[in-house]
Amino acid sequence: MIGADEAAALLYREALALDRGDWDAWLALFADDVIFWMPAWRDELTPTADPDRELSLIYYAGRAMLEDRVWRVRSGLSVASLPRPRVVHGVTNILVERAETDEAELSSSFTVHLYDKRSERTHVFFGRYEHGLRRVDGEWRIARKKILLLNDTIPTVVDFYSI
Amino acid sequence: MYRLADLIDDRPADGVFRVHRAIFDDNELFDLEMRTIFEGGWVFLGLASQADQPNDFFTSWAGRVPILVARDGEGTLNAFVNSCPHKGARIAQTMAGNTRLHVCAYHSWTFDSAGRNRGIKQKAAGCYAAAFDDASHDLTRLPAFADYRGFLFGSLSAAVPSLADYLGETVKLLDLIVDQGEGMELIPGGVTFTYDANWKLQLENCSDQYHFTSAHPSYIRLLEKRARAEKPEAFKSAMETQTHWREDASGIQGGSFSFANGHALNWGIGTVNDGSPLYESRDRLAAAIGEDRRDWMFNMRNLTIFPNIQIAENASSQLRVIRPLAANRTEMRTWCLAPKGESAAARRQRIRQYEDFFNPSGMATPDDTVCYENCQTGFTSRVDPWLQGYSRGMTASTPGGNAHSERIGMDAAAHVLGTAQLCDETLYHSYYREWAKRMHGVLA
Repeated sequence: MIGADEAAALLYREALALDRGDWDAWLALFADDVIFWMPAWRDELTPTADPDRELSLIYYAGRAMLEDRVWRVRSGLSVASLPRPRVVHGVTNILVERAETDEAELSSSFTVHLYDKRSERTHVFFGRYEHGLRRVDGEWRIARKKILLLNDTIPTVVDFYSI
Repeated sequence: MYRLADLIDDRPADGVFRVHRAIFDDNELFDLEMRTIFEGGWVFLGLASQADQPNDFFTSWAGRVPILVARDGEGTLNAFVNSCPHKGARIAQTMAGNTRLHVCAYHSWTFDSAGRNRGIKQKAAGCYAAAFDDASHDLTRLPAFADYRGFLFGSLSAAVPSLADYLGETVKLLDLIVDQGEGMELIPGGVTFTYDANWKLQLENCSDQYHFTSAHPSYIRLLEKRARAEKPEAFKSAMETQTHWREDASGIQGGSFSFANGHALNWGIGTVNDGSPLYESRDRLAAAIGEDRRDWMFNMRNLTIFPNIQIAENASSQLRVIRPLAANRTEMRTWCLAPKGESAAARRQRIRQYEDFFNPSGMATPDDTVCYENCQTGFTSRVDPWLQGYSRGMTASTPGGNAHSERIGMDAAAHVLGTAQLCDETLYHSYYREWAKRMHGVLA
């Protein structure tokens, strides 16, 4: 079973990989069949709940889709991705909501401060994470990640590294 | 202040059409645009399905003015200025809801869902003069409000043509959307984003075939990669299976139609294939509406109805509403638009295609909006103020419709038909000729 310290360390490692742009380290944290999901909002207080019948901001089934996003950022073919903004993730209020031998559910809060040198703008994206973990070959992997972005009027662009 | 002739250089006989950079970044011009175009003519407010039941309502904008669209107890839709006649406070403060009575939070003036005043707090004790009783205390109705098959338009000025006259031939294109299923609906989950650039950049980009392979190579390469890999987690792409956008495509691939009143369509010839979620309905549609109109539903289509609504059917299906906030700032409200009654599998395919391409968290739209912002930065120059982006297609533009538009009984003011490499820019002329028409009288 995962302990509170080990759970927090995993989330911090993920945050640091995104902040550093260490995409390989970030991708390695995910299970092959990960569900990576950022819902949209139905109204002021209700996020979308069914990705097959309602819109999401991001919904990917499988790490291969995350690899596509990383490829795009690395490709040099996306003007929105160059030069990459500087980001720092703060992950707080981490709770182990459910812990079993090889699975766990975590909840946490996040704040991402972003500085885009090109436009000289700063933004803050904030919300809550849910992480579903699974132990694969003795290592904890992220099998499900839900990002509930609370300030969802998007200033031009939001990418996987700024949430 | 600029004169019209300083801003739009429209000389067809000389083969010249140029637009001045100031049109995008001058604050005084922006204020005039808001008053004469967005707050003085037809604008799109929303879909009737957003207020489907008696006493449902939703809120919207006409330029800077808050609007309340409400269905009354009998089921009739009305549109009001969302502002209390008492002190001007915005009344309905949520995106949507259902209520028989709208109560102003400031002094409790109360209105029913038909906009009739139903209560002025402590009226009898108010020592009002007789003149007060002579005035209406109802919500102010929009001087013009009309519905075309569920598309709701309003105007803060009564001096507008009928909606049918305003939309003109573009209703044939709206029909192609409404007739795909049992009507259409917005998939739950609207997405709003802003960009720091002028609203007309969005107007143009929807019609801009020229940018696609330049601004979106990362998206295009990923579609090719996914098509090769046939990854089970990637859904079939509506673009990958078509040729109309490809730099190496040969032959006639599509073009543009320009319409009266500032509307425009760019389009590409599509084939009926399973890259589109509509594929499951191909036989039903052919039987119901004929092959000509069915085939047009599989064409790539980017429609702008001037000044604030765009419907894009390319990588997926999007309804966009443009809300200018300042000369250099724009808000986009966007939805995935879908035919009612499609299968769960088609709906899922449509949603996945949409998220990848259209979302500001996806892989194409950010590459557009960042380009808009780079344009806005460049618009500050007055050294050579005339922009050169309105010239492609000049010798190909032909008055009227063509054999393709005839298939859906549609006429046009002008068309361009050509290769995938032609990438017409004359369809923007529609926008700026309408802009000039509206600004005539407020600009010298």
